[in-house]
Amino acid sequence: MPKVTIDGHEIEVSQGTTIMQATKQLAIEVPYYCWHPGLSVAGNCRMCLVDVEGPPKPQIACYTQVTEGMVVHTQSEKAKKARKGTLEFLLSNHPLDCPVCDQAGECDLQNFYMDHGQYDSRFDEQKHKKKKAQPVGENVMLDQERCVLCSRCVRFCDEITGTGELGIVNRGSHEEITVFPGKEVNNAYSGNVVDICPVGALTDRDFRFKCRVWYLSSQDSVCPGCSQGCNIRIDSNLSRPQHGEGERVMRLKPRENLNVNDYWMCDEGRYNYNFIDRNRIQTASRVKEGVVEEILFEDAVDSLASVLGDAVREQRHGRIGVLVSTQLTNEDLFFVKKFFKTNLGMDAVESRFSFPEGSSDDFLIKADKSPNTAGAQALEVIASGTYQSGEDLIDKTIAGEFDVLISFGVDIDGLLGKEKLDAILEKVTLLAYVGSNHNETSKKAQLVIPSTVYAEKDGTFTNVHGRVQRIWPAFPPLGQARPEWQIICDLSEKTGFSVSADDAESIFSEITQTVSSFQGLSYEKLGKEGSLLSTVKETVEK
Amino acid sequence: MTEKLITKYLELTDANKIDVFESKDGYSRIQKVLKELKPEEVVDEVKKSNLRGLGGAGFSTGMKWSFIPKDGKKPVYLVCNCDEAEPGTFKDRHIVTSTPHLLLEGMMIAAFAVNAHKAYIFIRGEYERPYERLAKAVEEAYAKGYLGKNIFGSGYDLDIVVHQGAGAYICGEESALLEALEGKKGWPRLKPPFPAVVGLFGCPTVINNVETLSYLPLVMQGGADWFSKLAGEEKSGGTRLFCVSGHVNKPGIYELPVDTTLRSLIYDHAGGIRGGKQLKAVVPGGISAPILSAEEIDVKMDFDSLRAAGTMAGSGGVMVMDEDTNMVEALMVASRFFAHESCGQCSPCREGSAWLYKIVKRINEGEGRVEDLDSMLSIAGNISGTTICALGDAAAMPVTSYIKKFRSDFEDYISDCHLPVETQS
Amino acid sequence: MEIPEELKKKWDEAVARYEEKRAALLPVLRLSQDHFGYISAEVEEAVAHYMGTTPVHIREVVTFYELFHTKPVGKNNIQFCHTLACNLNGCEPLIKQLKEKIGIKEGETSSDGKYSFSRAECLGACEMAPMMKINKDIYGPLDKDKLNEIIENL
Repeated sequence: MPKVTIDGHEIEVSQGTTIMQATKQLAIEVPYYCWHPGLSVAGNCRMCLVDVEGPPKPQIACYTQVTEGMVVHTQSEKAKKARKGTLEFLLSNHPLDCPVCDQAGECDLQNFYMDHGQYDSRFDEQKHKKKKAQPVGENVMLDQERCVLCSRCVRFCDEITGTGELGIVNRGSHEEITVFPGKEVNNAYSGNVVDICPVGALTDRDFRFKCRVWYLSSQDSVCPGCSQGCNIRIDSNLSRPQHGEGERVMRLKPRENLNVNDYWMCDEGRYNYNFIDRNRIQTASRVKEGVVEEILFEDAVDSLASVLGDAVREQRHGRIGVLVSTQLTNEDLFFVKKFFKTNLGMDAVESRFSFPEGSSDDFLIKADKSPNTAGAQALEVIASGTYQSGEDLIDKTIAGEFDVLISFGVDIDGLLGKEKLDAILEKVTLLAYVGSNHNETSKKAQLVIPSTVYAEKDGTFTNVHGRVQRIWPAFPPLGQARPEWQIICDLSEKTGFSVSADDAESIFSEITQTVSSFQGLSYEKLGKEGSLLSTVKETVEK
Repeated sequence: MTEKLITKYLELTDANKIDVFESKDGYSRIQKVLKELKPEEVVDEVKKSNLRGLGGAGFSTGMKWSFIPKDGKKPVYLVCNCDEAEPGTFKDRHIVTSTPHLLLEGMMIAAFAVNAHKAYIFIRGEYERPYERLAKAVEEAYAKGYLGKNIFGSGYDLDIVVHQGAGAYICGEESALLEALEGKKGWPRLKPPFPAVVGLFGCPTVINNVETLSYLPLVMQGGADWFSKLAGEEKSGGTRLFCVSGHVNKPGIYELPVDTTLRSLIYDHAGGIRGGKQLKAVVPGGISAPILSAEEIDVKMDFDSLRAAGTMAGSGGVMVMDEDTNMVEALMVASRFFAHESCGQCSPCREGSAWLYKIVKRINEGEGRVEDLDSMLSIAGNISGTTICALGDAAAMPVTSYIKKFRSDFEDYISDCHLPVETQS
Repeated sequence: MEIPEELKKKWDEAVARYEEKRAALLPVLRLSQDHFGYISAEVEEAVAHYMGTTPVHIREVVTFYELFHTKPVGKNNIQFCHTLACNLNGCEPLIKQLKEKIGIKEGETSSDGKYSFSRAECLGACEMAPMMKINKDIYGPLDKDKLNEIIENL
């Protein structure tokens, strides 16, 4: 266990630790372009040169391993000169087209110039002309002039996806990043090359010219696109709505979680955000005499509550079925179950569906496209024996077993087709839909109550490996939408039951006290990276 | 006159043919080594001989060999660096063309010493005819059973493969050479580990220059004491092949003890300056070596003396410039070379070498400003010591030395603002 | 692209000399260039397939090295050295003379396919400066007349 002193701070590190890793442990900032914790060490940018006592030349922090008694200076004249010189080289041929570059504001050339450069330009020669604005894939735009040739993107395609689409061709100052003619960076994780590009060489075609990054607010979250639950950041533009045609979410970015997704996310998840701002159910509605009319949220809740109340009073609650989507949070699911099963004494509450399997791979992409299937299983949001699955419950509805069917986010049309939906409508007196986005089911339901999307919610998802992870609201709900657990509270109040909570956290606390696999967890303990259910012993999460 | 060791073979008619070579002690040294010595005894003998790495680094050859892990499980490789591309240097070309078997015999000795059973010769791609000679020599050696299994009945096996490069100066850098040998771009590796520990195919590897290897049969024949004393008391042993070019009457290869002075090399051996002109400057060890002015040529040509004089012995490529030489154009040519040959892997060399060339080219074209000179010194200073391999330093050294030693030439050129007779089109 | 059997056989022979298949890449590219005259995108793709890598990684190697051509070159590929020893010995006027004589600029191939001309960094024959290389052979020391004579005899 060698001890190293960096800028006067001594630290003991494990054998093989690099100076870079040691500076991170000490929260000392050393700039770099080519180094990335998820990729092999290239050592080519030379931006992380530091002054190590002993050798005459400065050493790169990313590659040099700490040895016993090593003394490192990151702020000596030698170290500063090396960094300043390197930065000047990297900027010498840079086009300085920041005003039209999407990376501006989060560019490490800009950042490090402010921290380590601050010189007057003395490059007075003709700059290299290379290709600009060249699409190199469905999602990725390449600007060769802005590139600092750090090779992160090349290493990503070689080491992470193994697809090898990018390379550095030519030699010396004529080098450029490129794809082979006729080939594109279209692997399932292509957007990550944009994230790891430290400059504006690779930008996201989806984000192109959409919004300056300094207008963005960020909120940590979890991707709802599949059961892996990759950690993400929601970048939204709330201050300049005119830049995004009123839409709030500008982009999703992966967030580091070494237990779940390292530093990466798939393209399917990354570009799956339009539903947050588009096609939203913003007001409650009902169908009256064949015509859809908007109604007050409270009236919709009253209306559903009275149906439920009557049924309970008349002992007809066995003729009510409830379908629950696993897009809902643990907190939502728990309250749905508690209210319908425990309080109303119903049995037909189902969250099990055989959705057609989506794409999958052996890395992050899972075939189950719900973020909380494991949560629904752990919370046992299922009927107790009589019904095999949600589809079974639907078939029984068509067979006449239920008078009322309530769907929390399950699009029956999308799942089983129009015929089944129409057959249900012929049998039931009420089909109620509680959900966030319009679909054929919401359009035909007699009663619709708007609910929030994950980006507007506080709560937790349990991923396929049993990891319980927090999501946080990035912005307030659209229109009248409310989280499902609040809708349950309202229904409960109107029907005279006592399912209530002030916030998602108090529901989670109730879950941990009543569901054994959640025992010992808390929002505080989940933190940013989540925790495994107590029933999960050992697992390979990736 | 001095001993002619390698030159004896270079001057021998048809020494490229195996029987001619054998008639002059060829392959007798390896046989003696195989019969009489243990590998570690060969290493010791070569250490004692003070034979230094004659590719340019000047590191003790025996010492380099001794870095190979002793009890490793992985195979050991010997690689011969024949990627001779340092401007001013052409000795390896002559060796592989005229006496390729001398190199092969040297490789056999080296391979035996480090317990390698497979050796590669990396020959620069431009050396087409030399390659043919070398390939033919390897073929002859196999035909006679001197390569392959159980060579000379010793029980020792050795295979040699000749690998042609494809045109990149950087491949002379040993880790870049290994990358090229593994089928990649010649991008130097981060070090440590050094090739002696992790080299070709991840295995311990010794990389020696053609000339170094070619001296081995002669060292083993004459003995370490004899060889080391050829050059008086210097720490570099023996003789080496100096390549003299530029404005001399007799450009060519001169094999001399390493304690020969530069003055003697130019005037006593290479025939002095052409046309009876005055000497202006000399590059003593390949284009990378800092330039010396005419007043500095009493220096001895061994590694240590030249280092003490602020330059380097390098590859032994001596380029001589007469009084009429335009130093601006000469530096432009040198900087153009490094800008062209920078492998592009790390930023200071990639960007810096190109930048230096652009400035000196502009000066050469008559658009220079006096402040360009200090900019160039500063840029060269920023490249120096910050790169993955030594090419960055090599690009910086000519700039620094030319401007420091011939500053008035540059200033006069800039103020006269005259155009050169012939600019590149 | 279908690689002819004879060439494929040569590739296999090259591979057999090395411990790792990838190590044979430079020989395989050289053999391909000798066969086709230059290395086209189709050849890069075929080599990538053979080597078990992606075409862009082959292109990285092809474009890194000076001696691989990505377009056809003339019957006489003239490389004129312009590094220090050749420069000191007056290569520039000879290069000018050469270009005028064969009527092409640097990096070009004459329309009849007879000549290609490029400048080269040091070709390792400084004692012969100024010198040039035509295909596999080197010529030097050159002067005005010798250069003319050599070109005329091509």
